Amino acid sequence: MPTVKIDGIEVEVPAGTNMIEAARKVGIDIPHYCYHPHLSIAGNCRMCLVDVEAGGRGPDIACNMMARDGLAIRTDTPQVATMRRATMEFLLKNHPLDCPICDQSGECRLQDYYMEYGQYESRLSDPKVTKHKRVDIGDHLVLDAERCIACSRCVRFGDEITGTGELRLFNRTDHTEIGIFPGARIQHDYQGNLADICPVGAITNKDFRFTKRVWYLKETDAVCTECATGCNVRVCHQQGQVFRLLPRRNDAVNKSWMCDHGRQAFEAITGLDRLLRARVQGQPADLDDAVAAAATLLREAGGGVAVVLGHSASNEANWALLKLTRDNLPNATVYAVAGNDPGAWDRSDDFLMDADKNANSAGIAALMAHDPAIRDRSDLVQALADGDVDVMLVLGDDVLGRLGADGAGVRVIHVGSFRCTTSDAATVVLPAAHPYEQDATWTNRDRRVQRGRRAIHPAGDSEPAWALMERLGAALGKAPGATSAAAAFKSLASSVESFSGMTYQSLGNGGAVLASPPSPPTDDEDALETIHA
Amino acid sequence: MNLPVEQKRTFLERIYLVEIVKGLAITLRHALHNLFKQDFETFEYPDVRKEMPERYKGAHRLTTRPDGRVKCVACMCCAQVCPAKCITIEAGELDDDPIEKYPVEFQIDMLRCIYCGFCVEACPKDAIRMDTGIYEINAFTRQDMIHDKAYMTDLMAGKKPLAESFYRAHQDAAPPGYDLEEDRVLPVDEPRGL
Repeated sequence: MPTVKIDGIEVEVPAGTNMIEAARKVGIDIPHYCYHPHLSIAGNCRMCLVDVEAGGRGPDIACNMMARDGLAIRTDTPQVATMRRATMEFLLKNHPLDCPICDQSGECRLQDYYMEYGQYESRLSDPKVTKHKRVDIGDHLVLDAERCIACSRCVRFGDEITGTGELRLFNRTDHTEIGIFPGARIQHDYQGNLADICPVGAITNKDFRFTKRVWYLKETDAVCTECATGCNVRVCHQQGQVFRLLPRRNDAVNKSWMCDHGRQAFEAITGLDRLLRARVQGQPADLDDAVAAAATLLREAGGGVAVVLGHSASNEANWALLKLTRDNLPNATVYAVAGNDPGAWDRSDDFLMDADKNANSAGIAALMAHDPAIRDRSDLVQALADGDVDVMLVLGDDVLGRLGADGAGVRVIHVGSFRCTTSDAATVVLPAAHPYEQDATWTNRDRRVQRGRRAIHPAGDSEPAWALMERLGAALGKAPGATSAAAAFKSLASSVESFSGMTYQSLGNGGAVLASPPSPPTDDEDALETIHA
Repeated sequence: MNLPVEQKRTFLERIYLVEIVKGLAITLRHALHNLFKQDFETFEYPDVRKEMPERYKGAHRLTTRPDGRVKCVACMCCAQVCPAKCITIEAGELDDDPIEKYPVEFQIDMLRCIYCGFCVEACPKDAIRMDTGIYEINAFTRQDMIHDKAYMTDLMAGKKPLAESFYRAHQDAAPPGYDLEEDRVLPVDEPRGL
C-alpha cells in the first residue's frame, strides 16, 4: 500500500485510491464537483486542483491523481486558494441567481464553495448566457440548464449505472448545455439519483419540488423495507412528517443509489390504507381492549392455533412472536409463508430492485434454521384445507392474500401497518408502526442485518410490532420480556446462533452479515489456504 | 475609560434649602406654561391620532407585481430569519410563468410577531414591508390575529371597524391610498419610507 503525504500528514492508502479519498481519510476536504466515488473520473470541473510538492508535476487535479509512493501534495498554499477562486468564478459566470426558488439551495456545492473559496466581486459586464429552464426530462425530474455547471455526473450515471444514456452535453464553451436526445425522455427506475448526484440545482426532483427548504429537515438513518435489497436511506423529516428519502452510502449494499419506488415509499405512512387504530370485529377499539380480545381468542381457541411469522416485519418482532408462542401457546404451530403480497409493487431487475418484496426473508430463514419446527407455506395450505386452523395470528404479511384463501371459518388476528385482505377478514387488528417509525433491524438478501432508526413517532395508536408482542404476551401470561428494541434484539442475538454476538452498537451504520451455518470440515489444505487468504 | 469623579458639594448645596427652591421653581414654571399655552404632548386617542414616523414598523403587507400577484417567491428567507418563528409559508408552482414559485399561503401570527423587521431585511424580492403605519393590530379571536396572504396583500379589507369610524371623522389622518367607501387601503406602488 503506497504512502502519500497530504499537507504534511502521511497516510497509507490502498493502491488506486485517488487524492480526494486519501485526503478525506485524514480529514482534509478537497472541493470537487465532477468526481463521484461510484462513477468514473471525468476531471472536467477543475475544482480539485492541488499543488504537488514531490513525486509529480503540479498543479494537478486530485481526483485523477492516484496514490503512489513518494507523492506529496499541498491543499493549503495561496496558489491553491487562487485556483479555487478562479474556478468558482468560471463556474458561476453564467449561473443564474435562482437561489430563492431553487430546491438545491441549502445543500448546493456552489453555495458552499462560494462561501468557502469564492467571495469575489463580480467582474461580469455582459449579460449572462440564457438557456432552457424548467425542462421536463423525466417522470420525476426537472432540468434547469442554466444552473448546470457541466460536470457530467448525470451523463456518466446514465452511461455507467443504468446504461440508458439519455443525457448528453450539447454545444460548446459557455453555451454548453445539458439535455436529453429528442424523444429520449428519462424513464428508468433510478431517476431520483440524478437529482441526488447533481452538485447544483440543475436536475431537481419533481416529487420534492418546492415542498420544503432542505435546511428545515432533520435526517435519520434508516433502511428501506420495500424489497429484499434493504437500501440504506436517510429519512428527511420535520415535525413528525416525512418529506423525502435520500440514499445513504453503503458500498456493500446500495453504493450511493436507491430506486424511485423506495424513494416515494414514505407516502404510505400517511396513506389511506394505513392502519391507525385497533379494531375488534370490525369496530374501532382501544388498543388494550383489542390486545385482551386477541389473548382471549388465542387462549380459548377451539381448534388449532396457527402463528404466521412476517417476512416484511423486523427481526425483533418475529423473534418476539416466536418466543411468545413457545412460552404461552405450546399447542400452536408456527408457519412462515414466503411470497409477495398480492397488489405489491412488481418491478424488479438485477441491480437494486429485488423480485422478493419482503424486507426480512433472510431473517425468517435464519429463524427457521434455528427452530426446525417452523413449517412453510405448503403446510399452512394443507392445514387450512383440512380445517385444522381455528385461530390464526398473522404478523404483517397479507397471508390470506398470498395463499388465495378467504379465511372462512378461521378467526384471524392481524398485526400490521397496512390494510389488506387479511386485515379485512381479521377479527382483531392491532396497528403496527411503519418501519420509519421504529428502531428495528431487517436482514437483507445478502444476509446482512441492518439497523433502521426511528425517524418519527408512530402514527395514531400504532406501536412497533415487538412492543405489541410484549403486550400480547403479557395478556397471555408470559411476555417475551424486552423493554426496548435493543433489548429485543439482544434477546434474539443471545438465542439464535447466526445472530450471536450482534448488538445495535456492533451493527453500526453499515450492518453486519449473519454467521453462516457451520460448513462441513474439509481436508483440502489448498482450499483452507484460499479461504484464509 | 474615564470614570466620573464625584464632585464635592458646595456650601449652598449642602444646606439643601436653595436647591429645593430651585426645584419648586421648575414645577411652577411648567404649571404656569401649561395653564396659559396648553400645548400638551397627550393625544385624545382615538379621536386624535399621532402621525407615525415614516420608518415606523407597523402591520406587514405583501407587495404586488403590476399584474396584482404577490412579489413573494416563497424562498422562506423571512420564515428562516424570524426570531419568533411566526411566519408560515406554503410554496406552490406556477405552471405558465418564468417565476416558477409562489406562496400558496402566507401567514404571520401577529400574536407571536415581535415587530423586529428582520423579515423585511431578509426579503430578496422586496415582497414584504412593514410600512403601513398600522399599529392597531387587534382582534377578538386568536385565529383572526393570524394575518394571511389575502389580508396582507389587500390590507385592511373587511376588517378594522375602528379604522373606518375613525377615518370617517378624520379623513386627513387616513394613510395614503385609504378608500373611505371601501374601507381599505388600495395598493400603493410608491413605497412609504425605507
